[in-house]
Amino acid sequence: MSIMELKQVGYSYDNKRKVLRGINAEMKQGKLYAILGPSGCGKTTLLSLIGGLDSPGSGQILFDGKDIAKTGLGDHRKNHVAFIFQAYNLIDYLTPAENVSLTSKLPPLPILERLGLTKEEAKRNVLKLSGGQQQRVAIARALASEAPVILADEPTGNLDEDTARDITEILKESAHQMNKCVVVVTHSNELAREADVVFRLKRGELQTLEKVTGTKNDNRRNGRRGR
Amino acid sequence: MNHKTNLGIRAILYSARKWKKTLLVFCLLLAITTLVLSGLAIADAQEEQAEEVRGTTGASFTVERNLSTGGWANDSDGTYSTQELITKDMIQKIASVEGITGYDASNGGVPTLYDEEGNNLSLSPDGFAYYAYGAYNSEFNSLFVSGRFELVEGSHITEDVTDGIILSRESVEKNGLKIGDKITGIINPEYNDPEVEMELIGVFDIVADKDDTINMYDASTYWDYNQYAFCSNSVMEALAVNYSDDGIESAFFYVEDAAQLDNVIKNAQRIDSINWNNFIITANDEVYQNISSALSDTNTLMTTLIVVITVVSMVLITLILSMSIRNRKRETGILLAVGIAKPAVILQYVLETMLIAIIAFPLAYLSSKQVAGAFGTLFGKTAANVIVTPQHFMIVAVVGAALLLVSVMVSCIPAFRLKPKQILSQME
Repeated sequence: MSIMELKQVGYSYDNKRKVLRGINAEMKQGKLYAILGPSGCGKTTLLSLIGGLDSPGSGQILFDGKDIAKTGLGDHRKNHVAFIFQAYNLIDYLTPAENVSLTSKLPPLPILERLGLTKEEAKRNVLKLSGGQQQRVAIARALASEAPVILADEPTGNLDEDTARDITEILKESAHQMNKCVVVVTHSNELAREADVVFRLKRGELQTLEKVTGTKNDNRRNGRRGR
Repeated sequence: MNHKTNLGIRAILYSARKWKKTLLVFCLLLAITTLVLSGLAIADAQEEQAEEVRGTTGASFTVERNLSTGGWANDSDGTYSTQELITKDMIQKIASVEGITGYDASNGGVPTLYDEEGNNLSLSPDGFAYYAYGAYNSEFNSLFVSGRFELVEGSHITEDVTDGIILSRESVEKNGLKIGDKITGIINPEYNDPEVEMELIGVFDIVADKDDTINMYDASTYWDYNQYAFCSNSVMEALAVNYSDDGIESAFFYVEDAAQLDNVIKNAQRIDSINWNNFIITANDEVYQNISSALSDTNTLMTTLIVVITVVSMVLITLILSMSIRNRKRETGILLAVGIAKPAVILQYVLETMLIAIIAFPLAYLSSKQVAGAFGTLFGKTAANVIVTPQHFMIVAVVGAALLLVSVMVSCIPAFRLKPKQILSQME
């Protein structure tokens, strides 16, 4: 059964420019989903709608069969979804451990260590960590929240290739081993190749691609950022 | 064990790790609270001083016959008023009104006075007579209450003194008199009026400015104040035995709290058994009015200063808090995105401010105790009289906390009107 379902979802900026038109999609636990598309096509907006950061102009977004607009966006954000942002979005006066504990009652160290941070690094100021380490903290925060849906907005966008590969592996493991529904907005074909289902957002419509093929050079053509 | 970084922990961690911002707000709160506490202490000292002045200056009112509403008659001595006189019973009733702490009643007369050798105690070559009040309690006579006269030697005439007289210093000095000397008075020797012996028991000085014609002269008599005298009422009755009207022409009622004079007069006028159409009441509170006007000006200045300091401070605090919260827009967006509810985020910001206030307010209490006296001297107060009390602290703590709460909430409005996505998009 789908954990997230989008029904005829539409959205326009300032009630003028339509970026999403009647989008229908289903997402299940245990799978990694990638959303591809050119910059400004509305990928991040779609992710925000799924995560309850904003409301769609039309249509419904269902979590576990229930409309999140009715159950409450705040409740949806708190209990059902966890975000991983390209810019990490960590609280700068908290340590990695404290950032992870923002959303979880569980001890933060095990998950941080599993994601490659040492105990010392877990107690350091987050701004003193490298980009890759900060993104691992952001992923740890998302995983520790026990939310069944993880939404990642270009999680490897600011990282070098090796670190990006590690992060991709972690997201894949989160879906396949931790039974999370992981939805990733990306320009990276490497990441998309690892996804179980790939969506392409084009002119406000969502198409499903079963398999992504291509080379690293395709990344340059796709650009770096989504909206 | 719960490892969650809840809002309380976040508030403490923010305050500790962003210590420069915390220190800025702390210093500002400390300075503002110290100023306001000092201001309240000065305002209280001002009020205390005003009460003291009201108590020391006092005021009185005079009840006199209303000659304009009474009739007139003629006899061999000339024309005289038939208006009702004040009786001792009326005086007792008025004196029993709450707020009246003393009274004097008197009949006026114009006796000629002589010393023990029979010399005329005149200040002028023509041997002009004195204007004398037959008093029960001369200290409550409007001339003393108003501060125009001041007893500088001896004592006042009271109800127990039956043969006393008080004269002006100039009169005493010019005629070589001293306390205890015997003085004889007579209204009119040609009419076989009786001679009455008195004893000089007091000397008064004229405080009123001699160039001030309003204060210097009694408009009804045009007598020089140096030729005023106060004698026992029994003496005046004996002197004026041939002119007795069996009543009193005017009575003075002393009110300790000058600010209550109007209320006391109104209460006196509610005594039904007195026909107030026949009497005139005049308030004697010039000294209080002059001083209270100055006090009122200082009070207004103090109140204005406290209000201005508080308003400017709160605007400043609100601006700093709103700048600080604006700078934390990203944090607000992140917290909302990870599922922390808006009220919890606002409460965190409130808690951070309150944590600072919890330390700043008591410290301000201590610092204001040190500096309030010094500030007070700028407003003409004695440092020892400017005291910051626990009541001041409670007022400032409660009102200050409420204002801070409002400031934080107002500062939060711009960020919380946006959806989390809008906040995060703006940050990117």
